Amino acid sequence: MEKTRTIRTWGSFLLLLLLLFVFLIWNVLAGSVKLPVSEILEILRGRGDGTQSRILLQIRLPRLLSALILGGALSVSGYLLQTFFHNPIAGPFVLGISSGAKLCVSIVMILLLSRGLVSSSAVLIAAAFVGAMGSMGFVLAVSQKVKRMSMLVICGVMIGYICTAATDLLVTFADDSNIVNLHNWSMGSFSGMSWENVGTMAIVCGAALVLVFFLSKPIRAYQLGEVYAQNLGVPLKAFRAALILLSSVLSACVTAFAGPISFVGIAVPHLMKTLFHSAEPLIMLPACFLGGGVFCLFCDLIARTAFAPTEVSISSVTAIFGAPIVIYMMIHRKAA
Amino acid sequence: MNDYLKTAGLSVGYDGKALIRDVALSVQRGKIVTLIGPNGSGKSTILKTVISQLPAIEGAVFLDGEDLRARSRRDTAKRMAIVMTARMDPELMTCRDVVSSGRYPYTGRLGVLRKEDKKIVEESLRQVDALDFADKPFQAISDGQRQRILLARALCQQPELIVLDEPTSYLDIRYKLELLSILKRMVREKNLAVLMSLHELDLAARVSDTVVCVAGDRIDKIGAPEEIFTREYIAKLYHMEPGKYDACFDTLEFVP
Repeated sequence: MEKTRTIRTWGSFLLLLLLLFVFLIWNVLAGSVKLPVSEILEILRGRGDGTQSRILLQIRLPRLLSALILGGALSVSGYLLQTFFHNPIAGPFVLGISSGAKLCVSIVMILLLSRGLVSSSAVLIAAAFVGAMGSMGFVLAVSQKVKRMSMLVICGVMIGYICTAATDLLVTFADDSNIVNLHNWSMGSFSGMSWENVGTMAIVCGAALVLVFFLSKPIRAYQLGEVYAQNLGVPLKAFRAALILLSSVLSACVTAFAGPISFVGIAVPHLMKTLFHSAEPLIMLPACFLGGGVFCLFCDLIARTAFAPTEVSISSVTAIFGAPIVIYMMIHRKAA
Repeated sequence: MNDYLKTAGLSVGYDGKALIRDVALSVQRGKIVTLIGPNGSGKSTILKTVISQLPAIEGAVFLDGEDLRARSRRDTAKRMAIVMTARMDPELMTCRDVVSSGRYPYTGRLGVLRKEDKKIVEESLRQVDALDFADKPFQAISDGQRQRILLARALCQQPELIVLDEPTSYLDIRYKLELLSILKRMVREKNLAVLMSLHELDLAARVSDTVVCVAGDRIDKIGAPEEIFTREYIAKLYHMEPGKYDACFDTLEFVP
C-alpha cells in the first residue's frame, strides 16, 4: 500500500514535469512570429538577429515564466483557502479576493496615472494586498455570522460583482491614453511582462511559498478539524492568521501583475488531489504549484494563439477549461 | 493518591457566562471517571473546558500538577489526547493517515514520520484491532470502525490522559461493548487516566471507577457506581418517575 502510494506520487510528479517541459517548449515556439528551434539555439548562444532575439528574450521568456509562477501561486492560494474553510470550492476568485485586489490596484493605477506617474510593481502588489485583505476581512466577518458554506460563497461572488462593477466604472471614466493597458489588465492577461516584473513576482511568491511549505505540518493537523488540531498543539489563532495572510499575499501578487484570473484556484487543486489521490500538504503544495503553472501555460498558449493575432483574455480561457471541472466536481461530491 | 487531572474552582460556560460552578474533578492514572446526566446538562461543556477548547470562566485545570495554561502546547499534547463528537471529515485520508496524526507532537518541523513513529502507528492500529481496514479511506468506514480509529489515534499520541465525549453514541450494542472493553484494557495496560461522558447508564455502571453526575447548573454528586446507580437517585437526576429507570436498566442488562 505504502509502496503503491509512493509510486503514484512520483509518477504523478514525473507526469507534471513532463507536461511542464512540453508546454514551456511549445510556448517558446508558438506565436504570430514563428521561431524555429535552430534559431532559438542561435539566440541562446548569443548570436541571432535582432527582432527574433527580442521576441524570445524580451517577450516570450518573461511571459511564460510569469504564467508559470503566477499560475502556481494562484492554485496554492486556492488550496490554502480550501483548507481554511474546509470547502473544496473556496478560492481567491470565488470569494471575491481577486476582485477586491483588482479594485484597489485600479484605484492606485488611475490616481498615479492622473499625476503622470507609472506605478512600480511594489506599489501595485501593496495595493492588491490591501484590496485582497479588504475582501477577505468581509468574507471572514460573514463567516463568523453564517456557518453555511453556500452563503459564504454567495457573499464572495457578490463582493466580486461589486468590486468588478466599481472597477469598470473607474476604467470607463478615467481619461488617459494608458487606460488601454488598464483595460487589458483588468480583464486578466500575462502579456507585457518585463524581466523586472518576473523578478519581483519570483521573490514575493517564492518567499510566500517557502513559508507556506513550513506550514505543512499544522495544515495536515487542521484537515482533521479545529478541535483535533488544537489538541495536537496547533496554535489555532496564529495558524489561521498565517493561512489567510499567505493566501492573500499569493493571490494579491497574481492580481497585481496579471489581473484577476478565474477558476485556477479551484480547478487545479481538485485535479491534483484526483491525480495524486492525496490531500497531504507536503505533496499537494508542490503539486499545486506545478499543476497551476502547467495549467496557466496551457491556457496562455491558447489565449495567444487560438485567434491570433487577436489575443483572448486569460480568464476566458481558464474559465472555459476550469469551470467544467468545478461543475463536475460539485456534482460528483453531491453523489458521494 | 496523585491526581493526574484535577480542576480547582472551575466554572464552565459560554461567552463569559458560567453555567456550572465549582466543578471539582479529579482523575487518577489507571482510573476511569465518567460524567453522566441528562441531555444538555453540561457534560460536553465541562469536557471542552478541560481540553481548553473553551476557556475556563473561573478557576483552572491542572494536568499532572501544573496549570494547563502554564504548559506548552506540545507538552500538553504529549500528555492529553481526545476523542470528541465533532465530526471528522478528512479528505482523502486513510485510517492509517488519521491514526498517524497522533504523532504530531513528536515529529519534526515538517511532520515526517520516522521509523519508530510508524511502529507506534501500527501498534495503535493493532490495539484497537483495526489492521484489516487500516488502508481504507476514513470517510468510507462504519461508525463503529471510526470510533476505534479515533481511539487508536488518541493512543498513538501516547498520552497519559484521554478525554472522550460520548464515544459510544451511534454505535450498536456490540460496538459499544467492543470499544469500552478496548478502552478498559488500555487503561490497565498503559496506566491511563480516562475522563469521559456516557449516555448509557448500564455501561457507565460497568466501566467506571468514579461517576460524576452533572445536573445542568451544578455537579450533583460524585461517587462510586454502586453509590450512584440506585433507583431513587437516578430517577431524580433524570427527572423520571422511579419505576422507569428500573425497567430501563433491566432491558439494557447484558452479559459481556
